Amino acid sequence: MTVDPANTSLGRMLLEEISPVVMVLSTPLVEEACLKNGLSFLQMLNPFSSFNNIDVPERTASDQPYRLQKFKLRLYYASDVKQPNLEVGKKKLKEIITQAGEKDLSELCSDAPQISNALVSSESGNPPSWFQCFNKQLVHMVSFSDHEAFDHPVACLLVASSKDEQPINRFVDLFNTNKLPSLLNDGAMDPKILKDFLLVHDNQDGPPDRATKLLAEMRKNPWAPYKSDASPSQHLGCFLNVDDISEKIRVLNQQVSATRKGFRNQIKNLWWRKGKEDVVDSPTGSMYTFSSIESQIRVSGDYAFMLRDYELALSNYRLISTDYKLDKAWKRYAGVQEMTGLTYFLLDQSRKEAEYCLENAFNTYSKLGSSGQQNATRCGLWWIEMLKTRDQYKEAAIVYFRVCGEDPLPSAVMLEQASYCYLLTKPSMLRKYGFHLVLAGDHYKKCDQIKHAIRTYRSAISVLKGTKWNHIKDHVHFHIGQWYASLEMYDVAVKHMLEVLACSHQSKTTQEFFLRDFLQIVQKTGKTFEVMKLQLPVINFSSLTIIFEDNRTYASPSAASTRESLWHSLEEEMIPSFSTARTNWLELQSKLIPKKYRESNVCVAGDIMLFGVSLSSFVVPLAATSFCFGKKTDEWTPDGNKLSEENDNDDNCEKLTTNMDISSDNSLFILSEVDCSLGAGETITVLLTVKPRVEGTLQIVGVRWKLSGSVVGFHNFQSNYVKKNVVKGSRKAKLSPNDNLKFMVIKVYAPLQYFTPPIQPLPEKLYAGTLQQLVLELRNQSEFPVKNLKMKVSHSRFLNIGNRENLTTQFPACLEKERDSGQSGALANSDMSHEVFLFPEDTLIQGEMPFLWPLWLRAAVPGYISLYISIYYEMGDISSVIRYRTLRLHYNLQVLPSLDVYFQISPSPLRLQQFLVRMDVVNRTSTESFHLHQLSSLGNQWEISLLQPPDSIFPLHSLKAGQGLSCFFMLKSCRKLSNSEDTISSISTPLASDVRLVPQGSGDSVYDITRSPLVDFHHCERLQQESSQQGDLNAIDFILISRTLKINADPGFCNAPHLISHHSCHCSVASAAPISWLVEGPGTLHHNFSSFCEVKLKMTIYNSTGATTFVRMKTFNSSSNVGRLTGVNAIQSATPGNQAGWHDVSLVNEIKVASNIPGTQHLIGKCLPVYLVWTKLHQCPT
Amino acid sequence: MATTACFIIVSRNDIPIYEAEVGSAAKREDAAQLHQFILHAALDIVQDLAWTTSAMYLKAIDRFNDLVVSVYVTAGHTRLMLLHDSRNDDGIKSFFQEVHELYIKILLNPLYLPGSRITSSHFDTKVRALARKYL
Repeated sequence: MTVDPANTSLGRMLLEEISPVVMVLSTPLVEEACLKNGLSFLQMLNPFSSFNNIDVPERTASDQPYRLQKFKLRLYYASDVKQPNLEVGKKKLKEIITQAGEKDLSELCSDAPQISNALVSSESGNPPSWFQCFNKQLVHMVSFSDHEAFDHPVACLLVASSKDEQPINRFVDLFNTNKLPSLLNDGAMDPKILKDFLLVHDNQDGPPDRATKLLAEMRKNPWAPYKSDASPSQHLGCFLNVDDISEKIRVLNQQVSATRKGFRNQIKNLWWRKGKEDVVDSPTGSMYTFSSIESQIRVSGDYAFMLRDYELALSNYRLISTDYKLDKAWKRYAGVQEMTGLTYFLLDQSRKEAEYCLENAFNTYSKLGSSGQQNATRCGLWWIEMLKTRDQYKEAAIVYFRVCGEDPLPSAVMLEQASYCYLLTKPSMLRKYGFHLVLAGDHYKKCDQIKHAIRTYRSAISVLKGTKWNHIKDHVHFHIGQWYASLEMYDVAVKHMLEVLACSHQSKTTQEFFLRDFLQIVQKTGKTFEVMKLQLPVINFSSLTIIFEDNRTYASPSAASTRESLWHSLEEEMIPSFSTARTNWLELQSKLIPKKYRESNVCVAGDIMLFGVSLSSFVVPLAATSFCFGKKTDEWTPDGNKLSEENDNDDNCEKLTTNMDISSDNSLFILSEVDCSLGAGETITVLLTVKPRVEGTLQIVGVRWKLSGSVVGFHNFQSNYVKKNVVKGSRKAKLSPNDNLKFMVIKVYAPLQYFTPPIQPLPEKLYAGTLQQLVLELRNQSEFPVKNLKMKVSHSRFLNIGNRENLTTQFPACLEKERDSGQSGALANSDMSHEVFLFPEDTLIQGEMPFLWPLWLRAAVPGYISLYISIYYEMGDISSVIRYRTLRLHYNLQVLPSLDVYFQISPSPLRLQQFLVRMDVVNRTSTESFHLHQLSSLGNQWEISLLQPPDSIFPLHSLKAGQGLSCFFMLKSCRKLSNSEDTISSISTPLASDVRLVPQGSGDSVYDITRSPLVDFHHCERLQQESSQQGDLNAIDFILISRTLKINADPGFCNAPHLISHHSCHCSVASAAPISWLVEGPGTLHHNFSSFCEVKLKMTIYNSTGATTFVRMKTFNSSSNVGRLTGVNAIQSATPGNQAGWHDVSLVNEIKVASNIPGTQHLIGKCLPVYLVWTKLHQCPT
Repeated sequence: MATTACFIIVSRNDIPIYEAEVGSAAKREDAAQLHQFILHAALDIVQDLAWTTSAMYLKAIDRFNDLVVSVYVTAGHTRLMLLHDSRNDDGIKSFFQEVHELYIKILLNPLYLPGSRITSSHFDTKVRALARKYL
């Protein structure tokens, strides 16, 4: 180390602390004289006790003299030369700390805690200055101990005043009194002490000659018995005389050098004596009196140390330490070790030795228990200082930590100093710094030093700021908050408490505890707090949904919450193409609208805007929280001049509070306030509404809420978004989110109003298959007409738009078949499902008259269904900014399963082209009974009929809950055997045939399934149930019509007149085999065998496939009795290329049935069965 | 099993991504934040020590009163830190190695973003089982 150890902080400290002590004994008159200046005698003398600019040669034991540049004496009153009282010492420590705390108070009030740049300032290395005072005080707490000699007075200064009567006698009295320190009396030190005499004379009290005279008298007086072996010297100081000051210094110099001389003699003495008695080696019991050799060695070591002859001191200490160790005089041993370490340090050699000695001393002191505690602390402080001078801050911090005892106050200071050490380590250990600060804070708190506790915690925050270690953060903020509250600085307290509110990771009790304390503190403030970042309840700002109506209007909130893309796809064909972009339709009016508003959204005055914000709480249930929005409005006139000035964001908060008293009639908008309470762990969505009243611009600034009636949270939406660096060029693509919160309020003169709900009667629950009539009801109360209405429905399978005539007719009676009418022409528009429905051109909605339009609803399949309906309309008023609007409706239906219907078709064994149909119906409901009304078949000229009369099938005419039923029908083809052209024409008009399942005369007539809307829905079902065999002529559709029996009490159901229809499409009559055949012939035949017997058998082969089929027939006969086919006549002449000849030579006949008719191709071949008829059977003669 | 043990995985950004109190002692309210404090402060020591050795297991690197901090540093500088009061050095080493394997499995999950909190309950149960086994 290049630095002289004496110049380090420890060196300076040692020179100061371990220096000769001079005991001062003074008469009361001396003190009185000094008190004129408000000083004690000691204080007056103090400046003369340190010598900074001297150069005195010194020689101790060795012959080599050295020089002293600096020297210091410590002056103490005799009454103070004793072991300080521990309690008094502690009180002093506390005073120091409390004072320091008061000093810092102003800093505590300052708002912002030191941020991380405080690190920089503290790195520059000025920990609080009172640390040094504190450490000094700690060191002083063990001064004047009996086992160490450096605190023992080396001399005694007796002071008398010139005003004293008989000053010489006074001197004698002073030293004789029993007030002498116990150290001198109990034998710890030699009572024969060097004495100096001082006469104080104030020139104001008389001429100096009296003093001079007294001095001379003193000189004459024989004091030999009181003198020590050093020659006495007497001095006179005329302290208050300025002229005398220089003289005084000189005099003191003399005194000091004289003392030194005395020391030298003494040391020499001891040295030699020690040399003499070295061999004796007599441990003189546990008590080492001043006369014991050990004590004398120690004293000589300490004197040498004080005179900076460290080599000598070291050799003395070494010599003695083993003795003490052997004697198990641990305290003395530790003391010697301590001094050894310090000597090593000052000699600047063997660092390890120094550290080892100090550590050894520290450990030894610590082992002594409470008696050694103070010494251990002092030793630790030396040690720390030594480590610090060597830049071993980390080690120093560890020692600081070890120094901590049970006493919380010194521990706190030690811990805090440890933390600064960690800060000073390179690289600085910030986390350790923070941790030790927090520990120190806890200790401060234990001894009620709250200000200090707060100070340390605040410093810790600067380190822990932004940490993700939640428990740490919560702990620090919570405690600071509490402490500030106890200092009644509630504002700051609340600020810190706010940090801990978002504590979802904590246990429930902790959360409750935090919240309770927080609310208590807030209550104590006695006012409602406005907080920018209230973390409770948690508001999910990304979930913010804004529903406003520009050209889009919504009939219900659920419609509004539907995805925009869904509506978009629905309305795509309906909306004029120029207006697809949101802002474009404003361009027509661009002259009217200030440019800066062109980007903002548009809403309509008088319409309500909805905002959805989702909230969630932690484990703790929250009390009622009321929500409302903050916003600002500007009025603007169409010529672009704003009426009110725009405020910047800071003002918004102010304005907000003024705007809060809402709902007065002249305010520009109406705000809603929502009260809600959150359960534990609950998440809810709060809907807030704003209703602008006048034209202008409206900006949503943020949301305000009040927690438990005392804390107002405010959140600015804008602060939520980080401003992005907008790159030039892509500017248009990026609309900043703020723009979504800006609205331009305009006036629309012809809003379409609707009854809520506009479609009635709409049930919530339905049985599958239910068919019902609904009415759409709209009205427009303004004077301007609404025209060009269009409508689009998302699920045409469920909702069908009716005709105007439907309104006047009664449902379901309108569906009943009139007796004589043949086929009503209302056929389904095959492609209407995906088309926009245009209301008739002449439709104008105006005035008081509601506009009604029928709709048909059929619950096609069970489940939950969302129906979306969008109605487009244009305003008659051209001047309006908005040209058109859409009304969006959204409904949810629950469809319950009702009947399950299955059909099975099998060919009749008796006839070709006749089929048996088995219908299985199962009632899937739990309570409902169904009344089966009719079964209709819709297909290619099929006719259906019952096998049995209805009474025998359904004795009860209804199907009870859970019941199943099977019944059989006959299906007959009524197709005539006609040529192919006829067949083609018959395809386009599917023929319906109906079977009543109720007995005749029950009053119900048959419903015509070819009428709208049944046929429309049937068409949808056909498309839905599309099978692979498209256009199969053999396919047949069945429609089962039923009704519920009783009126349903469930409020979800609507008891409007209805039918239930079940559609089963594409049932194929084709059996598994492609070829079916039937042989007809007489059952019995009488024959006399006189001639050939011819039996006419008729065989019908039916090819149900579309392909050409190769048929080969074999007859089996006994060898003698072979039947011959004599001839085959193909009735079907449409097989020109066919070789129809049957040969009787062979038993194997081959027929190629070719149904390939040119021109008609495949389709025809498929639907055209080939009839081959055997006309004769030739019996071979026997 | 150790009476007190707190296991924390700290990501390379010094953010705790997994925390578990695995001691057998009854839970105390203030224990959690004390443990966090100790482990958090120990990061300073780890930061120095990690580069002085090639071994992943750094043994006991720090202590607070009778609580010892043992650390295992993975190649990605994720630190597995265990605060314990037991002296079972071998057990702790095995514990760290097996948890490291588990952690690697977590990392292999393509849906896991490295450095984010480990929320897998499977991981949690495994770690606790390992703690019972080794500590």
